[in-house]
Amino acid sequence: MKSLLATLALTTALTLPGLAMARPVSMTTTLNNYGGDGAYLALYVTDASGAYVGSLWMAGGKSKYYEHLTDWYRATGGDTAQVNGITGASVGAGRTFEITLDLADALFDAGYTLHIDAAVEDMRDSPNEVAIPLTTSGAGTPVNGRRYVAQFAYDM
Amino acid sequence: MKKTLALLIASTALTTAIGVPAWSAMRAPDGTIAQTVAAVLDDAHEALPLIFVSDDDDDEREHRSGARHDDDDDDDHDDCDDDDCKGNARNPAPAGTVAPPQNGLFGNGALPQVQMK
Repeated sequence: MKSLLATLALTTALTLPGLAMARPVSMTTTLNNYGGDGAYLALYVTDASGAYVGSLWMAGGKSKYYEHLTDWYRATGGDTAQVNGITGASVGAGRTFEITLDLADALFDAGYTLHIDAAVEDMRDSPNEVAIPLTTSGAGTPVNGRRYVAQFAYDM
Repeated sequence: MKKTLALLIASTALTTAIGVPAWSAMRAPDGTIAQTVAAVLDDAHEALPLIFVSDDDDDEREHRSGARHDDDDDDDHDDCDDDDCKGNARNPAPAGTVAPPQNGLFGNGALPQVQMK
């Protein structure tokens, strides 16, 4: 009986931190009616020193266009492995897309910044369209983009 | 007599050991004429290689001039749509087909969900 209890306590102790270390975060991006084709968007994170940490989402599946997401491309060298499993379709003008990601708690209130680079065919590239610090207090507060993104917000 | 016999045996053995390989090497292999003809014909084939003639000059000019996007209204390199033309880099795996990258940003829970409105 004692060994059973000990086993249960051990498995609980091992499982709970894992569950507590990540949470679902939804990110909502609304694009302007810029009158062009679907936009490619790269959502990625930099640390407090501005160094690239990793990608959260890539909207747009053809890697030949990634060079137009200039900051992301400079940071990654266009490495498609950075966005394997987190790539979806490009986003049409005036559309809203919402992604829900299971993100590590350590991302918030630790000096990380979420960036969005945007590019549209035959239109100007827009690196750093959005740059927003990842904080728990900033959740639910929308920010405006510079060119193609009308509004972006994340919720936890 | 024994000495003579020994000398004969030794000289025969030497002759056999040296002469047979030399004689074999000097012999022309079978089918020499056929091989010679085939070699000449093969050379002729190589001397007249097939040349692919392309009328794709416009696309080449477009690439050289640094055009940045496909227009999708001409006969450009449509076979590049599925595969990246630059350095044979592949397109990334779509969401849901593989797990997100292990970059320390993601938990080990649910796969990404996307919704377009």
